[in-house]
Parts: sequence; structure tokens; C-alpha cells
Amino acid sequence: MNTIPFGPRNEDPLLAKAAELPKDVAPARDLWPSIAARLAGETQTARPRAFGWPAALAAGFLVASVSALLTWGLTRNPEPAVQPWLADVQSAEAAIMPVNYGPNSGITAKELVARDELLVQFREKLAQLSPQTRADVVKNLAVIQKATNEIDAALDQDPASGLLNQLLIGAYKQELQLYSTVVTAGDGLTRRT
Amino acid sequence: MTSLASAAQGSNELVARACRGDMNAFEDLYRQNIGRVYGLCLRMTGQPDSAEDLTQDTFVSAWRSLPGYEGRSSFSTWLHRIAVNAVLARRRSPQGRNEISMTDEAGEQMEFVAEAEMDEATPIDIERAIAALPPGARDIVVLHGIYGYSHEEAAGMLGVAVGTCKAQLHRARHLMRGRLDSEKTT
Repeated sequence: MNTIPFGPRNEDPLLAKAAELPKDVAPARDLWPSIAARLAGETQTARPRAFGWPAALAAGFLVASVSALLTWGLTRNPEPAVQPWLADVQSAEAAIMPVNYGPNSGITAKELVARDELLVQFREKLAQLSPQTRADVVKNLAVIQKATNEIDAALDQDPASGLLNQLLIGAYKQELQLYSTVVTAGDGLTRRT
Repeated sequence: MTSLASAAQGSNELVARACRGDMNAFEDLYRQNIGRVYGLCLRMTGQPDSAEDLTQDTFVSAWRSLPGYEGRSSFSTWLHRIAVNAVLARRRSPQGRNEISMTDEAGEQMEFVAEAEMDEATPIDIERAIAALPPGARDIVVLHGIYGYSHEEAAGMLGVAVGTCKAQLHRARHLMRGRLDSEKTT
């Protein structure tokens, strides 16, 4: 850890006071028994893993790239909409698998409920798109799923990583963005028919 | 050998033993680091109950990940990074959003739940002023001001740009000064 020998931290009296505060604060109770109980029977994550930083970074980059391309494609070059009654609603719904987030995401059940509400509108709009576009969307969701799996696995090895944490949240945002883009583009297509 | 170097070597030995699955060594590491980890979590959340949960999560996560710890930073810094990630993840959750004070779109203060949780008998005005800050500003004061991390280190922990850290620190100083001045006049 670096200390700051010069600069605002020492010049500003408020920050100088902050620097004098005790670094250690004792909790009201000993937390070790609870921690030991949680660790009982657990084994540490073995170092050799199939996933690591390079895969996670590549996955994060891929999520951003592919989703951006899909957004561009849907908004700039919307395909002619197929008639709703021709759309194979059931097969479209069956193909859609919302992203499953691992234990390191910090994304809670309530947030996933909010995501699922958007998913309902997304599925309705998706059914009105052409089979090719639907296939592209499904492919993008698969990319996001693969990315979150790899980032989550990398976080298992390196839970201290701020970047991995940001990548995981980025994937979550990309998933919502993808749904939102389809819902919005779907509205436009519906109006044009 | 200085006492500092001796302590670091002792810590390294404990880490090595804990890496091999020695729970007693990990408990010793817990005893060495609990105050700093809990202090960080408490100051970032302003909530003793949340801070306890997050501290436990931090040590559980550290135990699981010890085989991946490569010693590029000190063990305590590594623990702090895990703790910061845990706090940020909780803050994003609906539960965390109810617990932790938020700012509006313009970055203005909306509510200070954390402040209400602080012990009013705390003699240290500066501690209360920090607790009353919006989360982004509070984070940088805690990491940079109290725990001595550089802007680059704090930015890396928080997943933001260095410039954002500096801007948040500037804002924090302004807000704290205003709060302390108003306390003096009342």
C-alpha cells in the first residue's frame, strides 16, 4: 500500500484529520465463529482452472462488441417485420434463455425479477422479428452467458479484482440493453407495418 | 530485522500455511486483519450490521481464493480489494440501495441513512462528516483519506477513472467543510 507523502491529503486539514482516524475498528462481536461455520467442509478453489483473466477479458470485450453491433443493426437497418401471426412465437420463446448469473455477481433475485419483467416485453417484440434477427439475438445472449460464466469463474480465483467486477456488471447491463433495444426496435417495426 | 519486516514475514508464513488449508493460520490472519476490514466496510456502508455481513463475506471469499493469491500486493491490501468489491456488489443490490444513502442525477445528497445509524456520541466530528457523504465521495475519502491508498489504487479498487476519484475527493472536501462549518454555527 502506498502512503501519500505529499499533495492534497496532507495539505488539506480535513484529510489530515481523516488520516489520523484509527484504521482498525472492532466489530461488536467476534465474527470468527460465523466465518468458521461457513468455511466448515469447504475446500479452497484449486488454482488450475479452465478460466482465467485472458478469457474473462476477451469475454467482456466480446459482449460489448457483439451487443453494440446488434444494436446498430436493429436500429439502422431494421428488417421488414413479419406478420405477428406468422411468427413462431413458441419457438422464439423456447430459444430465449435469460442469462444465468453466478454467485459472484452480486445480482440479487429482486434485480432478476426486474430483468424478467423486461423479458416479457422483449419476448413479445422478438416474436415479430424475422427468423434471422431472432437467431442473431439468441446468439448474442449466448455470448453474454458465456462471458458471465468466464468472468464469474475468474472472480472465483481473483475476488479482489475491481475490473472483473465491472465486467460482470457490464455484462448485466448489456443483457438489459439488448432486451431494451429489441423492445424499442420492435415498436418501430410494428408501426411500419 | 525490523519489527515491521518481522511482522510481514510472519504474515507471509501464515498466508502460506493458510494456502495449504491450515484453518488455524487463517484464523490468525483474521485476527490480524479484522479491524481494518471491518473498519473499511463500516465506513463505506455506515451500517454496522451490513459491515459485519460484508466482513464475513470478505473472509469467506478470501479463504476460497487463497490458492490464487500471488502476493503481488500485501495480504491486507488484497483483503481490502475483496471487501471493496463486496461493498460495491451489495450497494448495487436492492437491499443495499435501501440501506445506503444515495445521490440524485446531479450528484446531490438525497438522504443520509448512514448518518442516522452513526453513534451520536462519537466525539470525532470528522467521522460523522465522512459518514454523511454520498457513497461515491465517501468511498474515496475512506480509501484515500483514511486508509492511505493513492488515487490510482483507489480508482482501481472502485473501478472508476483516476480523474473521477480526484473529482469525488474535491466534492467530498467541499461537502465536509460545509457540514462542519454549519455545525459550528449551530
